[in-house]
Amino acid sequence: MSVQALRFALVGNPNCGKTSIFNRLTGARAKVANYPGVTVERRTGPVSGTASPAQLIDLPGTYSLHVSSLDEKVARDIILGQMAGEAPPDVLIAVVDATNLRLGLRLVLELKKLGRPMILALNQADAATHRGIKIDTDGLAAAIGVPVVETVAIKRHGLNALCDAMDQITAQQQNTQANVISDADASRQESVESLYQHIEQLTAAYVTAPPDTITWQDKLDRFVMHPVAGLITLFVVLLLIFQAVFAWAAPIMDLIDGSFGALSEWVAATLPDGILKDFLADGLIAGVGGVLVFLPQIIILFFFILLLEDSGYLTRAAFLLDRPMRGVGLSGRSFIPLLSSFACAIPGIMATRTVPDPRERIIAIMVAPLMTCSARLPVYTLIIAAFIPSQKVWGIFNLQGLTLFVLYMAGIVSAALMAWLMRLRRTREEFPLLLELPAYRWPSAYHLLLGLRERTWVFLRRVGTIILALSIVLWALSSFPGPPAGAVGPAIEYSLAGQLGRFMQPIFEPMGFTWQMCIALIPAMAAREVAVSALATVYAVGGDTFEQALGQTLGQSWGLPTALAYLAWFVYAPQCLATIAVVRRETNSRSATAFFTIYLFALAYFFAVATYQIATAVLS
Amino acid sequence: MTPSPISTASAPQQRPRSLDQCRKGETLRITELLSQPAFGAQDEQVTLRLKELGFLPGVSMTVLGYGFLGRDPLAVKIAGTKFALRRSEASKVAVATEDQP
Ligand SMILES: Nc1nc2c(ncn2[C@@H]2O[C@H](COP(=O)(O)OP(=O)(O)OP(=O)(O)O)[C@@H](O)[C@H]2O)c(=O)[nH]1
Ligand SMILES: [Mg+2]
Repeated sequence: MSVQALRFALVGNPNCGKTSIFNRLTGARAKVANYPGVTVERRTGPVSGTASPAQLIDLPGTYSLHVSSLDEKVARDIILGQMAGEAPPDVLIAVVDATNLRLGLRLVLELKKLGRPMILALNQADAATHRGIKIDTDGLAAAIGVPVVETVAIKRHGLNALCDAMDQITAQQQNTQANVISDADASRQESVESLYQHIEQLTAAYVTAPPDTITWQDKLDRFVMHPVAGLITLFVVLLLIFQAVFAWAAPIMDLIDGSFGALSEWVAATLPDGILKDFLADGLIAGVGGVLVFLPQIIILFFFILLLEDSGYLTRAAFLLDRPMRGVGLSGRSFIPLLSSFACAIPGIMATRTVPDPRERIIAIMVAPLMTCSARLPVYTLIIAAFIPSQKVWGIFNLQGLTLFVLYMAGIVSAALMAWLMRLRRTREEFPLLLELPAYRWPSAYHLLLGLRERTWVFLRRVGTIILALSIVLWALSSFPGPPAGAVGPAIEYSLAGQLGRFMQPIFEPMGFTWQMCIALIPAMAAREVAVSALATVYAVGGDTFEQALGQTLGQSWGLPTALAYLAWFVYAPQCLATIAVVRRETNSRSATAFFTIYLFALAYFFAVATYQIATAVLS
Repeated sequence: MTPSPISTASAPQQRPRSLDQCRKGETLRITELLSQPAFGAQDEQVTLRLKELGFLPGVSMTVLGYGFLGRDPLAVKIAGTKFALRRSEASKVAVATEDQP
């Protein structure tokens, strides 16, 4: 008879280290960062360190079972067994940040009332020791009536003890058969005041902490959260990131570009003429290489995002921007979801679950794709490199880097405008900000490397699957059917892709798009980056340094107004299909999804036409 | 629109000083939690959440600083934890200066 694995759920305040523990115990690589609200969905995995089989559930953080946002609701529904089709967990592992004991213990005492078996993990014990906080775990365990272990999830300390405690509970469970108190009893609550009184007694008896002194953290906060100095800092930090993405990546990109160019030349020189050679050189190497070139940029962008996420700075930025964002109907709560959208709109839209105000949440979802996601970076880079001269402005900034910054700003400003327009339908009711500002931490090299590896892997997988597939399909579409005998002009004009492009072209006429550009828009709906390889395929460029060659071809065949209009199109561009699917799931509304898709199409069309017409008028 | 105390405080003539009226660097003791009509039907929930986060009568806290438009939001440190609050939440927290009871 096989033993049913017990289900353990990690429960605790936001940012106390639940996911770090989950990752260590299950070997998963779920996202960990230093701000509240990183995890917004539950995640399950088998534990490897216990003697008896165990399933571990990682939950979003919550301050209380009286929830105030969707991510907290996910946690509560699982804990109380109110999630449809899912039994409540057998055992709760309450995780408490040992440097923030009172807040954590309040939730523990609330959970205790549920009557489920529980283990208390005092995580971040290293940080507590560092601050001179000493906790008598045995005393605390006896007083609360649950086993207590100290853990340091980032260094693996105490996790064996945690596994032992889990095994012990499993043994007890099998002897006594779970007698779980019903949720009706859970609603028989104690007042917050008396809970905190109990906590004061506990901390007085079992915890010694030195008096609160002013630390480097407080001094840093005085500067970073200063109304003027703080905002300047924020602006400089963001500007530096854009500069770095553009400038630092260039040498490595040239290197990759050169190698693919050489490879393609070698193929061209070695293979006999024919379809295989065309396919390898124009379809495969041009398609995949064309996108792979952007790996360094993506890595640099994510390096900075991870650095900001793990330092604790992001909540400070949210604090500074709360008021300005409220002017357009958002709030500081939407800051981190919107910032995540610079990486990719999908996690950004998921992260809006942490926004307590449902209307604000919808607005944030609607404008999230206007934040330039990393998949658009290749398109921007290619066109900027082809049309914007690389000169210095004011001695320090590169004109190309500056253009990139302007494109990002265009997205941000439009998002603000759209949010402001959508806010006009808002009720007057206010929602609180109440944002915890976590302690600053040195970004851990381990998380940084792990995060970068993860992002690199995601990017490579995209290149190897969807981008590769689209490149092949596009190559086929633009090679077949072949030109009739005696035809003049490039073969692609007779192909399926060519016909499709010509069919679409009248719609895009007012913004000056050529039929080749229209073709590239279609695969870009599945993955933005493919616009680059698609352009390479339809313009049939090859040669030694392929990226530069493509840039030159574009520079000759498009006018500047057309190039700017293409950029404008991609700033607003209809979102990739995956984003639309996530909007459908997160809003759970067909009309909201339809609105989302149509308004972005309309914006893209409007701004591309306007850009083209204005640029044409100005330049002539 | 004048918020009134939730608890039956002995008929205060005027509204007690609340957190949103305090200066940077001040250390204050919470005396009670007031209601704030701006939150509408949510108000009780906001009060509960404030309490759960440790904003309870008798607890002391320090004002760390303000945002840049209309001194909003403000940051406080309470029991070693830092929180950002808007003025509307802060106006629910009645305070007294630490040295006078
Ligand atoms: N010093 C120290 N830092 C830790 C420890 N455990 C986690 N952290 C850090 O705490 C931060 C939050 O960790 P997470 O695992 O994301 O916390 P979480 O509880 O899952 O957070 P949410 O998903 O937002 O609720 C990260 O910056 C971690 O690196 C620890 O034991 N010691
Ligand atoms: Mg987490």
